[in-house]
Parts: sequence; C-alpha cells; structure tokens
Amino acid sequence: MRLEKCWFCSSTVYPGHGIQYVRNDAKVFRFCRSKCHKNFKMKRNPRKVKWTKAYRRLNGKDMTQDATFEFERKRNRPERYDRSVTENTLKAIKKIDKVRVDREARHHSQRMKGKKAQVLREATKELEQSIHMVKAPAALQEDSSLTLPKIKVKVSQPTEDNRMLE
Amino acid sequence: MAASNSSKLFSVGRSILGGLCNNSIGSIRSSSEMVQVDFLSQQQRTFIQMRTSLKVVDNSGAKKVMCIQALKGRKGARLGDKVVVSVKEAHSGGKVKKGEVHYGVVVRAAMQRGRCDGSEVKFDDNAVVLINKQGEPIGTRVFGPVPHELRKKKHLKILSLAEHIV
Repeated sequence: MRLEKCWFCSSTVYPGHGIQYVRNDAKVFRFCRSKCHKNFKMKRNPRKVKWTKAYRRLNGKDMTQDATFEFERKRNRPERYDRSVTENTLKAIKKIDKVRVDREARHHSQRMKGKKAQVLREATKELEQSIHMVKAPAALQEDSSLTLPKIKVKVSQPTEDNRMLE
Repeated sequence: MAASNSSKLFSVGRSILGGLCNNSIGSIRSSSEMVQVDFLSQQQRTFIQMRTSLKVVDNSGAKKVMCIQALKGRKGARLGDKVVVSVKEAHSGGKVKKGEVHYGVVVRAAMQRGRCDGSEVKFDDNAVVLINKQGEPIGTRVFGPVPHELRKKKHLKILSLAEHIV
C-alpha cells in the first residue's frame, strides 16, 4: 500500500480513491478526485491554478524548503520488516507532523505580519466615513465620544431626551 | 423511455450507459451529451465491442485491427479481456496479413477499470496484442505500457515482453 500524491493538487491519494491515467509514454498521472482530473483534461497548468499546492509553493504562500520534507521522500527500496522500527516510525511520524505544522503556521504568520499600520489606517478611515451606519448623525453631534477627537462639539442642551428617542 | 432510463443511468455510471449503447438511441444520446460539454472533452469511454477499431502494439505485422467479437462480457471487452479481431491494416511482409482473423488481448483501454484496491486505471487509447488460440503472443515485442491486470488473466508472456508495466 502506498500513499500517492495527486498530480494536480498534490494532496495525498489514499487507497481506494481517485483515478490513475496512464499516457502512452508510460507516464502515470494520479488524481485524488474528479475535480483535479477534470482540470487536467482541460489542460490547465496546476502552477497557475490558485488552490493547488504547486501554485502556493511557487508564489511563496507555503513553505518550500524544510528539513521535514526530507522524511516524505519516495524511497524505492523495500525495508525489511522490523517491529521496533515500525513502532519508532509511527511515533516519529506524529512528531514530524507536529513540527511541520508548527513551522507552516509560523511561515504563515510571518507572511501576514507587517500590516498593523495599514489595518489601523483603514479602521480610522472607515470610522470617519461610515459611522452614520451605526449611529445617527444627530447623536454624534451631541456625544463627542462616538467620533474621533478632531470633531469639536459644543454641548448646550441635556442629551437624555435624544437618547430615549433612539 | 429508453432515453430517460439512460439519462438516469448516466449519473450512476458511464460504463453502464456505454453498455446500453448497443442500440442507436443510446449512442445518439451519448453523442449529444458529448456535444453539450464538448469543450471539456468529456467523452464517454465504453467497452470494446464489435466494430471497435483497435491499435496493435506488437510486431506481429498488423497495424489496425477491428474487433469482431468480445469473448466473455455481455456488453463488451474491457482491459485484459480476449477478443476476436479481423486485421484491417498490416505492414507488408509481416507474420499477419490483412483480412485474417485472430485472437487478441486488450492491453490498453480508454475505459477505466477498477483495481482491487478500489482505485481506477485508464489509458489513452485502445490497444491489443495478437495471440493465437492457446494464448501465446504472435509477435515478439510489445510496445507501450501494459497493466498488471494481465498477470491475473495468465498472460505472463506478454508481461515479460512488455517494456513498462503499470
């Protein structure tokens, strides 16, 4: 039993799933599901299709080089069955997966970093422009805490009546 | 009524519809289906039946061959089945002449065949290797990939001659 990779999206193909297409030059294309198969038949290039691993690796969205990938390299030599080796391998698989997932999360957060200033600017702009969706403009003039500091308001009347109306 | 039946069956399995393709109504329906989604080249791959033209992938001398009878299989032959063929096109000076009737083994079929692990395989074209009544290949070489379904059908000589087993 061997876990293969889908040619199009690079996800694992488990036994019992998918279709293998053998071309006459003896190149085998494995697909995990008909979505990938149909995209292949449409002659789409996986490197240009946004949701595939090929695109994500190419465009720096996902990790490309890491020591954890070495463990998943395809080895063509069958190993002699050794119970202790099997046990250790199973334990190692769990640990390696955890490490890889952590590293991927770190890569992702690293990629998403550096947007604090932009987010702040966008938020202030939205507050200025769209506050009328949340609070009526009349209320804003009376209560200065709802707006940004630069709007100066002179409070001359009591505000409770207007609040009740709302 | 037959048409509506086949439309229901189309969603269930292409191969079943292909089997019913023996009558003209079925084949017209399938060709109209083809035209509707022609851009995506969603072709219905069906069985190898009478009048199916096949490619010959050994050096017996024949080039193109037409199936006259699919031995075993009510709807037609699939990957790994034996067929009776009539030679339509042959190399000059080969072992086999045009117009002769021989047996053949389907080594590549465009229709997907389920494997025992649950996955499916399909090839690019329909190809046969000519054999004699005893099951021994007439030619001495086989070109292109062959599936290991032949092992179960006891066509071991063909497997040994093959250059690539899938």
